[in-house]
Amino acid sequence: MDIIILALLLTTAILMVRGAPRKWILTSWIVAFVLMLALFRYHVTSPLDLSF
Amino acid sequence: MAKTFPKLVFWGLHAWVLAYVGVLLGAFTIQFVEGEFPCPLCMLQRYGMILSTLGALWVIMQARRGDLTPVRYMQGMGLGVLGAAAGALVSVRQILLHIKPGDPGYGSAVMGYHLYTWALITFYIVVLFVAVLSILAPVGIPEAPKSSGALTLSSIVVWVFVILVAANVIAIIFLEGFAWVLPDDPTSYNLIDQITGG
Repeated sequence: MDIIILALLLTTAILMVRGAPRKWILTSWIVAFVLMLALFRYHVTSPLDLSF
Repeated sequence: MAKTFPKLVFWGLHAWVLAYVGVLLGAFTIQFVEGEFPCPLCMLQRYGMILSTLGALWVIMQARRGDLTPVRYMQGMGLGVLGAAAGALVSVRQILLHIKPGDPGYGSAVMGYHLYTWALITFYIVVLFVAVLSILAPVGIPEAPKSSGALTLSSIVVWVFVILVAANVIAIIFLEGFAWVLPDDPTSYNLIDQITGG
């Protein structure tokens, strides 16, 4: 998953530099963003052991 | 001032890119020189930094092409803040995981703070920076300089960032190998272990 996210981020950067259509850039950025949040959710496996 | 400010904002966005290039290079130094392997949450914070910087990069590239509009400028700033907010979410989680007295934290500290604390500070700075740029937007839509020297300097900053993202892709291939996700506490490069059977 990390490889996919970073590959998407690199793709987004290259699309920006090459002046690709905005819809491709935004789509690539948003997919990377959503995958990042999904991966974060995957790694959050337990509630924090804290009491305030 | 009316002519100077758009150029100042243009270079301010380069400073944003360069600042995160420095932070990502620092993370690489700790990974490859000091031999500390980044944890999954550490990598997620790098993604937040890259996502955020892509907002600045988008504005820079459109300003250079001369097709930057106020709407696209705000879209770029929105991408920057969203990336920073996502990264901050991860930083806060990691800080809270190690906040109890006596917990040594993950990895080594730099100038008294662990990397995830520094990461949260950088995300906060991005939000403040974008807030100031947004307030000043009526007089400060970025404008690229015309001189070839300045454009070359801008290109160097942009390509250093792109190359650094590419280096991260290579590094994560070695770290993750053929696994779907990183282990919670990585101690080696998975790809090398999987190939050599180590």
